[in-house]
Amino acid sequence: MRCGDFRTTYAEDMAIFDSALARGLLAALLVLLVLLPLLATGYWLDVTNRIGIAVIAATGLNILTGFTGQISLGNAAFLAVGAYSTAALTARGVPFLIAVPSSGLISALVGMIFGFPSLRLKGLYLAIATLAAHFIVEFTVVHWESMTGGVNGIGIDPPKLFGYAFDEDRKLYFPILAATVAMLWFAKNLFRTRVGKAFVAIRDQDISAEVMGVAVFRHKLLSFAVSSFYVGVAGSLLAYQARIISPENFPLGVAIDQLGMIIIGGLGSILGSVLGAIFITLLPEALRLLTGALAGSFPGLVQLFASLKLGVFGLAIVLFLIFEPDGMAARWHRIKAYWKLYPFSY
Amino acid sequence: MTFLRAAILAVVAAGAASAQEIRVGGLFDLTGVTSDVGKSFAKGVRDGVEWTNENGGINGKKIRLFDVDYGYKMPEAVAAYKRMVGDDKVIMINGWGTGDTEQLKTQVNADKIPYISASFSAHLTDPSKTPYNFFVAPSYSDQLRAWLSWVKDDWKDTSRNPRVAFYYGDNAYGKSPMEAGRQFCKEKGIDLVDEEVLPGVFQDATSQLLNTKQKGADYVYINVTTTGVSTVLKDAKKLGLNIKFGSNPYGFSESLLAVAKEAAEGVTGVVPHVPFGENVPGMKRLVDFHKKNHPDDTHDAIYVRGWTYVLVWSEALKRADKANKLDGPGVKAALETFKDFDLGGLTNPVTYTATDHRPSTKTPIYIIKGGKLVKVKEYDMTRKPEWLGL
Repeated sequence: MRCGDFRTTYAEDMAIFDSALARGLLAALLVLLVLLPLLATGYWLDVTNRIGIAVIAATGLNILTGFTGQISLGNAAFLAVGAYSTAALTARGVPFLIAVPSSGLISALVGMIFGFPSLRLKGLYLAIATLAAHFIVEFTVVHWESMTGGVNGIGIDPPKLFGYAFDEDRKLYFPILAATVAMLWFAKNLFRTRVGKAFVAIRDQDISAEVMGVAVFRHKLLSFAVSSFYVGVAGSLLAYQARIISPENFPLGVAIDQLGMIIIGGLGSILGSVLGAIFITLLPEALRLLTGALAGSFPGLVQLFASLKLGVFGLAIVLFLIFEPDGMAARWHRIKAYWKLYPFSY
Repeated sequence: MTFLRAAILAVVAAGAASAQEIRVGGLFDLTGVTSDVGKSFAKGVRDGVEWTNENGGINGKKIRLFDVDYGYKMPEAVAAYKRMVGDDKVIMINGWGTGDTEQLKTQVNADKIPYISASFSAHLTDPSKTPYNFFVAPSYSDQLRAWLSWVKDDWKDTSRNPRVAFYYGDNAYGKSPMEAGRQFCKEKGIDLVDEEVLPGVFQDATSQLLNTKQKGADYVYINVTTTGVSTVLKDAKKLGLNIKFGSNPYGFSESLLAVAKEAAEGVTGVVPHVPFGENVPGMKRLVDFHKKNHPDDTHDAIYVRGWTYVLVWSEALKRADKANKLDGPGVKAALETFKDFDLGGLTNPVTYTATDHRPSTKTPIYIIKGGKLVKVKEYDMTRKPEWLGL
């Protein structure tokens, strides 16, 4: 029995899935995901769709923050740009397959504009600059009523493909799943290319990166563009899923939640974005089920439990940061490594 | 074989149980920006349901309330709605905010779910646009018109028109009656001199008040909830402004008195559901329930509002049940049979028709005098067809 992990070629070293077992498990997972709508009830499909959208958005943020090291608080704003672009495009009869990438591109453009300060600003200063993006977009959305419907929000027709309307969560699940898989596949491969490695070099030490011949500003802007494209696509899918969007869909809390996703999941890890997005989206649902069950036996405490939900949410995040600061992805790798060497773990 | 029999029995029993239970959704704000008034309303609805179940239920059937706190966030409301309709199979919903109600109106109509919300937005009163939306009060627009009528009555100076300012939140609830108010000001000869937009949560309204002072307003209508109204009143007292304030049914109740204290003196407000403990015939069951279950709690007009909602829709459920049509369209049809339905003075009699969902157009105006809510006058805006939906 082979004990350990030995690589003898560069191709093996570059491989995303390093064993037949991993490929098999992934295929099985995909089959399971495709079959999920047969098993899940209406509401849980809404949750899975929201997870899919969150995965795309978190991956986008991770590209910018986790891989390129540019902290951003503008994610809710880019999400809003994507969603409102879709609303505007579909109102003008643009079909689903074009509206989604176009919304991504519009969002990428806006992301690049707000990425300009990254030329000069780093760290917390950049965070504040991207925070400005949030407020500018929010203000625009609230007051450009002819385009966005203002605070009352705007409705979006269900997407149609070849005359088939994806008008409920069960149907919409498939395009969202397809988009999520495609976006993850692209992101995973992005970091095997020169551009992706340039991003990582900038994150690790921007001066060294420049010395090595990486055009720092160009790559920072590119990172903003790719990241916002992801978030814009997520926003577009969100618009199709929610069917009605308003400024309240994009509070600053959404940007914070997404930062939470990549921190809990693992900065600079695609798997981390996925795990973090699943965790943060499911946490309130789990708490809801738990408090719901408890409130059943103590009806007088309904009010208390409603507030408790928020407190437990915060506590879970803090505990995660203390006990698993490298994120869920790191824990996953440790578990995998343990089994790789099992039973000779010394 | 025994297993099969047991399974069949279980299925039959489950069917029987669900036939005896009427599923109703409740969408409340217990933690969000309107939780200052949302909690009180939710408590009223819960107590109303409990009381109804203790007193015969819906022709013997029990109401089961699926209540959800959505924190005044629209995406949460949409998710909760999907859950209630898709998984919990509710036949109607007791909702809350203006923004979420207006967002859900198309969905509600498609699913045929009567949606009786605590938002009195006039946009929900025209059944040709929102056939499944209902509420139990004069609309926000009629309330503002009534308050402006009171301003006209209160204004004694004949040399010039009274000057009014509107304060409202930057959300669907805040903005809902403003267009109606602007038009009514023009009709009535009231000068609208200032409009100030207030953020969702704020600790200071000094800059808005100074603007208003500069523009010389005599009256200000504050269209936000209790906490916000109290902030404005306290800041106005600090600045020593000579302005008469008025507010809407979510900003004006016993709770405002408790929070704003002496700053609330002289403030007028719309009180479509009577304060708790008011001497009206319908109040007895509320007070008895209160004494029996939670004698130490304090309640306000918004708690009474929650009760009134249950009294209205449980009556509709009873009528739908008698007609053997206990489903969405059945409950809607039952509600549309309401003609001057008497609530024992808790609120004005309620009428719905298939072409007009304005439950009432009569708006009582109260004033805070000597630390008490005192009724000033009731204004009837009458059912003008051109005001339907505005």
